[in-house]
Amino acid sequence: MKLSSTGYLFKEGFKNIWNNRMMSLASVIVLVSCLIITGAAALISVNVRSLISQVGDDNEVTIYLKPELSDLESIKLGGELGKIGNIESYVFNSKDEVIKQYEKNLGEEIYESMQGDGNPFGNEYKIQLKDLSKYSETVEKINKLEGVDKVSDRSDIAGKLTKLNYFVTLVGSWVVLILAVVTLFIISNTIKMTMYSRRFEISIMKSVGATNAFVRIPFIIEAMMIGLISGLIASGAIIAMYSPVRDAASGIIGMIADTTLTVKQVWLPTLLTMSGIGMLIGLIGGFISITRYLNKEGGAIIGK
Amino acid sequence: MIHLENISKIYPNGNEALKKISLDIDQGEFVFIVGPSGAGKSTFLKLLIHEEKATFGKLTVNGRDLIKIKNRKVPYLRRTMGIVFQDFRLIDKMNVFDNVAFAMRAIGTPEKAIKKRVRYVLKLVGLEGTDKRRPNELSGGEQQRVALARALVNNPEIIIADEPTGNIDPERSYEIMKMLVAINRRGTTVIIVTHEHELVKEFGGRVIRIADGEITHDEFLPTKYQPERILNSQNSSAQNIPEKKHRVNAEAEEESPAEQNDNENENTAEEADTL
Ligand SMILES: Nc1ncnc2c1ncn2[C@@H]1O[C@H](COP(=O)(O)OP(=O)(O)OP(=O)(O)O)[C@@H](O)[C@H]1O
Ligand SMILES: [Mg+2]
Repeated sequence: MKLSSTGYLFKEGFKNIWNNRMMSLASVIVLVSCLIITGAAALISVNVRSLISQVGDDNEVTIYLKPELSDLESIKLGGELGKIGNIESYVFNSKDEVIKQYEKNLGEEIYESMQGDGNPFGNEYKIQLKDLSKYSETVEKINKLEGVDKVSDRSDIAGKLTKLNYFVTLVGSWVVLILAVVTLFIISNTIKMTMYSRRFEISIMKSVGATNAFVRIPFIIEAMMIGLISGLIASGAIIAMYSPVRDAASGIIGMIADTTLTVKQVWLPTLLTMSGIGMLIGLIGGFISITRYLNKEGGAIIGK
Repeated sequence: MIHLENISKIYPNGNEALKKISLDIDQGEFVFIVGPSGAGKSTFLKLLIHEEKATFGKLTVNGRDLIKIKNRKVPYLRRTMGIVFQDFRLIDKMNVFDNVAFAMRAIGTPEKAIKKRVRYVLKLVGLEGTDKRRPNELSGGEQQRVALARALVNNPEIIIADEPTGNIDPERSYEIMKMLVAINRRGTTVIIVTHEHELVKEFGGRVIRIADGEITHDEFLPTKYQPERILNSQNSSAQNIPEKKHRVNAEAEEESPAEQNDNENENTAEEADTL
């Protein structure tokens, strides 16, 4: 494209959007919805990952050993634990220490009666995992060790979060894929309609020797502008919603406040990525329909 | 400049619109194509502008082999021709100036060169001062003159007109024809498809009759029309048209498509004064 024509071609592109404003509006609405869903899924996933990595830092798993296991046997079992892998560190808690935690709750008399052989608890190990995504594998291995009664972490949040993240990613990618196809379809139809409404001009352009590349440009600009506008609206909506949603979520689960990304961290990447994706979808959708049109109906000049 | 050798056109549905036509048209000729409806006249024009491809035969237009021409070269072929239609094909929502300028913008001419050239061509067809008017505010004859200006604005070597006077009353038709003659006198080849025998008799020139896809007559009719009358008539904006400069660089332009526009524009800008 020559520089001297740039202004003209851009003007034509904007004129297309205006002349075909109902269809343009429809595609903006559809594209905005797609982008919001896509963006929300992506942000949830990013935040869940951030949450997991931080929760993982202080995520503790407790291994309850069978009460009949002696201290010596328990310490031997600690050696076995080291061989399992994926264990960052482990701390031994004898059954005396365990019962001590309940001293106040139990009351003096009962507490006294539970000392020594009367202690219903077994020894414990508190361990930290290296990689939380391998949580269930590791726990399974631990459970198979001789003398282990049961394994539990404080909350199993990490495991649940990992599952949630997987789910969000999986469902998100499907939704995004389907919506991308729908959006491409809508955009290419919008452009097809604009081209159809301007077929007369296109045929005149072709009759005076305009190249296909030149004829195409205003329509590509139109499609990319629709994409860009949608990207801006969608990211604006997401950015505006981000903090309220995050605050609300923090109200339910306190740790969200410290473990997820703040709006300051996400707004720029969100804006850039979504505008970029919008324009890319516009470019692809526009290109498909224009090329098709120019190769078929667009060839007629004298016609009839 | 136009060479057809055993050209046949068979449409995909089996219609044989042209049957082994052979024909030469030289630079500067004034040619009428006549014949009954469905004879293949429009098909002939469509082959010239490469809207349709010939099924068999050899076809050369302005030095380009239209049998072998690549799709991306077709626009450059079309820049050497101006096409005029029966239904004018003006864009209603654009004013006269923009309708003509459209043909220059469509091939990437800079605005600066456009203004001068469009004014000049509008003057040539006797429409100075109508810049801001819309096509629907003009008579049929005036609309066709706008269309003619648009066909001329890129300085074509050939004007191709499919029934240019089909929608215009006889008097206005006469005006249009006078302009086409004047354009021809500058050296531009003019090919006109028409049903109007009166005009053919009046203006004469080479008359090619096509019937049922074949050339049945190809003869030269003397003209009754005296070109001097152009100069004497009051409405004659078409007077004093200097001879057209020959395009020596047409081929060079095509060989370097990237620079095509620039060459074209320089060319146009230069000739704006001299045309
Ligand atoms: N796209 C097409 N597909 C199939 N047949 C066609 C097509 N265009 C034209 N024809 C046929 O080819 C023949 C020649 O058509 P053409 O349009 O060239 O005639 P014409 O001489 O221009 O007629 P008219 O004077 O009515 O404009 C006709 O029989 C017509 O039906
Ligand atoms: Mg016809």
